[in-house]
Amino acid sequence: MSNGAILILMGCLFLLFGYMGVPVTFALIAGVLLAVQFTQISMQSMVGQLFHGIDSEALLAVPFFLLVGELMASSDVVHRMIRLAQTLVGHMRGGLAQVVTLFSMFFAGISGSSVADVAVLSRTVAPEMDKEGYDRAFTAALIASASTMANLIPPSIMAIVYGATGNVSIGGLFLAGVVPGVLIGIGLMVYSYFWGPAGIKKKRAPFAEIAAASRDSALPMVIPVIIMGGILSGWFTPTEAGMIAAIYVLVVLIPVFRPHHVYELPRDFMYAGLLYSLPLAAVAAASAFGWMVAYLRGPDIVAGYITGIAGTSGPMIMFLLVVLFVIVGDFLDAVPAIIIFMPIINKLTEIGDIKPLHMGVVVITTLVFGLITPPYGLSLLVASKYVGVGFGRAVVRSLPLYAVFFLTIAFVVLFPDVVLWLPKMLLPESVGCFKGPGSSAYICPP
Amino acid sequence: MAELQHHRALILQRHRHLKWRAFDWLEALLMVLCGVCIFMFTLAALCDVVTRAIGAPWLWLQQGTTAFFCWGVFLGMAAATRRNDHFYLTEITKRLTGTPRSVIEIANRLIVLVVSVLLTWFGWKNAMLDLGSFRMPSLIPLTVYTGIVPAAGVLIGLFSIEQLVNGWRNGFEGPEDRENVAVLPE
Repeated sequence: MSNGAILILMGCLFLLFGYMGVPVTFALIAGVLLAVQFTQISMQSMVGQLFHGIDSEALLAVPFFLLVGELMASSDVVHRMIRLAQTLVGHMRGGLAQVVTLFSMFFAGISGSSVADVAVLSRTVAPEMDKEGYDRAFTAALIASASTMANLIPPSIMAIVYGATGNVSIGGLFLAGVVPGVLIGIGLMVYSYFWGPAGIKKKRAPFAEIAAASRDSALPMVIPVIIMGGILSGWFTPTEAGMIAAIYVLVVLIPVFRPHHVYELPRDFMYAGLLYSLPLAAVAAASAFGWMVAYLRGPDIVAGYITGIAGTSGPMIMFLLVVLFVIVGDFLDAVPAIIIFMPIINKLTEIGDIKPLHMGVVVITTLVFGLITPPYGLSLLVASKYVGVGFGRAVVRSLPLYAVFFLTIAFVVLFPDVVLWLPKMLLPESVGCFKGPGSSAYICPP
Repeated sequence: MAELQHHRALILQRHRHLKWRAFDWLEALLMVLCGVCIFMFTLAALCDVVTRAIGAPWLWLQQGTTAFFCWGVFLGMAAATRRNDHFYLTEITKRLTGTPRSVIEIANRLIVLVVSVLLTWFGWKNAMLDLGSFRMPSLIPLTVYTGIVPAAGVLIGLFSIEQLVNGWRNGFEGPEDRENVAVLPE
């Protein structure tokens, strides 16, 4: 059997099993183990690959950022941040919709998990939106769309996985995600202001109230400073920054704000322990799948198709990859998608002479969009369940919001200098800059 | 709100009809071990940073961190199998009823069972081979890490059989297929 045929068989088996209802992790492993029968590879080495796929120091950051999100959500410390968002933008047209978006930007700086963001907003702001007469489908669509920022604004779990598997600077990816993350936030706020439900008009909060809310939420808002400050100053790796953030929540935030929550911590740890194993089990399976894709020369085959249309033009290659990942993101979770397609991404990055960091942020921004598209838009599925509205209705209501994502993706592809400005300034090595001989100034390739 | 808490339960009552009470302790034990793993690797990572900061690094700490991390992933994988908490591509099966539902559910569990048998057998062979490989500088055999793969395989197989037998007897449909997790009232 030819390599192409084995690849198609492996992919089809995975999709068949996955859509029959086999968990993603087992559907991936089953596809790989069946495909192995047509190659010279031993089953034993493929099973070993499952372990080696997660045996990475960088991936340790994933549970830490999930733990931070889980602890923050379950201890209800986030209420203070919601209040701050209310005092800042609650008076605008569609006030609570603006609060959802601004809070998601704050929370994105603390947690790398979109689902945690959806859970928090569904419990806290969604009931308020319901009382003010917001359409539930709009509430679900907005919460899901805003939660996607958690995977762009640092710390981002997708960035960690991309950096760990693609050998790209995770700190650089964190910084490069800021521009698309903020663009999506601004886009959602603009949409809510002009075209969203009006909600109930409220008075602008007086300065004293804003100051009080800022003071109340100052301690939680230190977390992004710890994370990015630690990474940029070279004090911590992203993994250590995640651990320090978790320790900060445990020894500062919870004792100060919710001392009684200490008794709930064992349960938080047990649940966070289960929660982190789910994406990482998928990572283990996807890394075996990705290894097989690379072994069967999948990157050459796909790169051949793409360069056949785009030639070696970087932007054209990226646009075609965007199309590919919009389709992939509709059917597959982002984390396994990144790992499975990494060999192909690397090949195309080389052919198009694209900066790996730029390619990374384009892929992540595109996959983030997959969180709100049917049939497998995880954030939208969770949001519609929690808000109590049909998934179909939520999809229809989120269609206009897709424009925000399309514009952001186009911006990220077409204006790499703007997107990479922050990493270039703060972490020059991440974009390929190096120190000149005998000087401390950086030389950056064009 | 209650539903959000319910998802965090030590022994999940969802899909009760597919579970034997005799295995509840195993689910609880796996959840506790997941908690222990994440706690221990948080602690190990903290000690690693502290010992490096004071100029007396304990190099084996990083290996301890990785071990707890990997064990946590595979133990969580087994726990998630019993709790039906894995990532799924679709919920189409849940909308089916009667014979078509049973046929697909049985096929799904058989696929997971076959995967678990392969994980156990080849994972075991791989772990035995790793007895001759060591992690530097602590010289811990690699088997300490990879041994968790066949152990998880056994547990996943056990839970798949549990679900197959109970699904065959009681049917796979349950009240949770129509469950409403909404936090907002109807």
